[in-house]
Amino acid sequence: MDSISERHIEDSRVQVTIIASICAGTLLFAIIAMGLGSSSTLDSISTIKIMLGLEYGSDLQSAIIWELRFPRVLMAIIGGAALATAGALMQGCLGNPLVSPLTLGVASGAALGAAFAIILGISIIPDLAIVANAFLFSLAVVAIIIQLGNMRSVSAESYILVGIAITFISGAIVSTFTYFATDAQLSQLTHWSFGSLSRPSLSNVVWISAAIICLMPSAMKWAWNLNTLSLGGDDFAISSGVDPSSTRRNILVLSALMTSIVIAFTGLIGFVGLAAPHMSRLVIGNDYRKLIPCSAVFGSFLMLFADTAGRTIFAPVIIPVGIMLAIIGGPIFMYLLLQNRGVSG
Amino acid sequence: MTSLLKIEGLEFSWGTNQVLKDVTLDIGGNEFVAILGVNGAGKSTFLKCVNRILTPAKGTVEISGENIADMSLMDLSKATSYVPQSVKTSFSMSVFDVVMLGRRPHISWRISDNDREKVSETIRFLGLEDFAFRKFDRLSGGERQRVIIAKAVAQDPMLFLLDEPTSDLDLQNQVSIMKKIRRIVSDENSEKSAIVAIHDINMAARFADRVLLIDGGRIKADGTPSEVLTEANIADVFGVSCDIVPEEYGWGSLRILVKDEIEKD
Repeated sequence: MDSISERHIEDSRVQVTIIASICAGTLLFAIIAMGLGSSSTLDSISTIKIMLGLEYGSDLQSAIIWELRFPRVLMAIIGGAALATAGALMQGCLGNPLVSPLTLGVASGAALGAAFAIILGISIIPDLAIVANAFLFSLAVVAIIIQLGNMRSVSAESYILVGIAITFISGAIVSTFTYFATDAQLSQLTHWSFGSLSRPSLSNVVWISAAIICLMPSAMKWAWNLNTLSLGGDDFAISSGVDPSSTRRNILVLSALMTSIVIAFTGLIGFVGLAAPHMSRLVIGNDYRKLIPCSAVFGSFLMLFADTAGRTIFAPVIIPVGIMLAIIGGPIFMYLLLQNRGVSG
Repeated sequence: MTSLLKIEGLEFSWGTNQVLKDVTLDIGGNEFVAILGVNGAGKSTFLKCVNRILTPAKGTVEISGENIADMSLMDLSKATSYVPQSVKTSFSMSVFDVVMLGRRPHISWRISDNDREKVSETIRFLGLEDFAFRKFDRLSGGERQRVIIAKAVAQDPMLFLLDEPTSDLDLQNQVSIMKKIRRIVSDENSEKSAIVAIHDINMAARFADRVLLIDGGRIKADGTPSEVLTEANIADVFGVSCDIVPEEYGWGSLRILVKDEIEKD
């Protein structure tokens, strides 16, 4: 094998090692996060021992672990991975670095659904009013995306513009609802829009995890197509054997589904889907075969870190993860981007 | 001998503006075909119709006897590779990875040693070793053009469709790239052909076996460089006067010395 091929193999090895290291770091941090909380008897070691059945835990300790901490940490890992993956996929297929999972209007649809449930009290499934509405309204946005994708010669810009239009329309309807809402309803809607990992129960998180884990291989399947599309646009993709229209439609539906599944349960969490893919690009480059897993583990780490910080820094007050992500992730994101610009000249 | 590319009655319009009119053409193996014509004559549109980037309003395009409308894009990209005039990049990759995209039609997911070797070989063939691991968006326009040509070569197609492949290159690289394309096409073991849209008529005269002169979306002349590149044709299509002189340096058979534009009445 010649030196150019060897260099490529070596570069790939380094990139895989980086992804594995971030993954290991995230798991380690998850163990630490499991031990953090108001219960002084439950440190990380005790928590893990109780979870593995190596140590006896009281009913209260078991409840804290299995009903509070574990769902929250697992939701951070799965939710962060899903939103970051969705962001990376959407940025690539729309050829736009400013795109995030919320760009297509999925989040606005979810917010509208939540507003219907909270302010008007309208829901198809009364027991799960907010979650069901948020999810169904998100799916309505996915249906619009599919319809748009079936139209002839729809461009990447068309998707973004339709997403902006959906955001404005949903925003206007939610604003109209809030005009007539009571203080309690307003407070509930505002709190929902912050985005929090405390809402989903353990069974919710298990179902969310199963759905996201099933969808992840589909994301990887599109890696090569995304490489051609994000590097050179539609003509370049066609000449490489990639159909840009069907690729874009399928990827957007996949991303919107992943986003809907998460934010229906957590509320609006936006920043991780924008920042994690860009942080990953700075570390391992733009090859989607590595960018997708790297974004997923980066997203998990960011979400877990922000949530852990949010529930420990001002304890017993818990700052919602959506807010913490922007407060902590924003400056880190800007620093990395500016530092990279300085190095590259 | 079967045709590599057979086009019959090809027509294409942008709205009411008919860009290609009844183009009929037959190209065999080992042919270097240059397409000449003024800006907007339909050269790029023609190449894009052959590669299914654009869908013609009428007519058929067959590659090795198969209608391209019935081929999957993946099969079509194994048969043809297209080099656009320029590539706008959203997210950059290393030069090696860009050239590797040429192997996309041959790869299911995992890169094989054979694909890696092929890319490496192409990088050497086109003299890109010095910046093989630099980011594509940090290259000059000419370097990028050579990388995109390398991607097309790594694709290993039967037919190259090159849209002004030397427009951003310096003089040495213009000659170098044309010689390399010529070398690929001249290899009688492979029967590969190339269709090159180009503005430099001397390059066309030196390297092409055949010249297509396109005027107003129609093929005005089709033949060897000495048959097509006459003073009358050049004056008629390009609106310039010129002298045709015999070539003395061993490449092609003639040289065109452009004198002045011809004033229109």
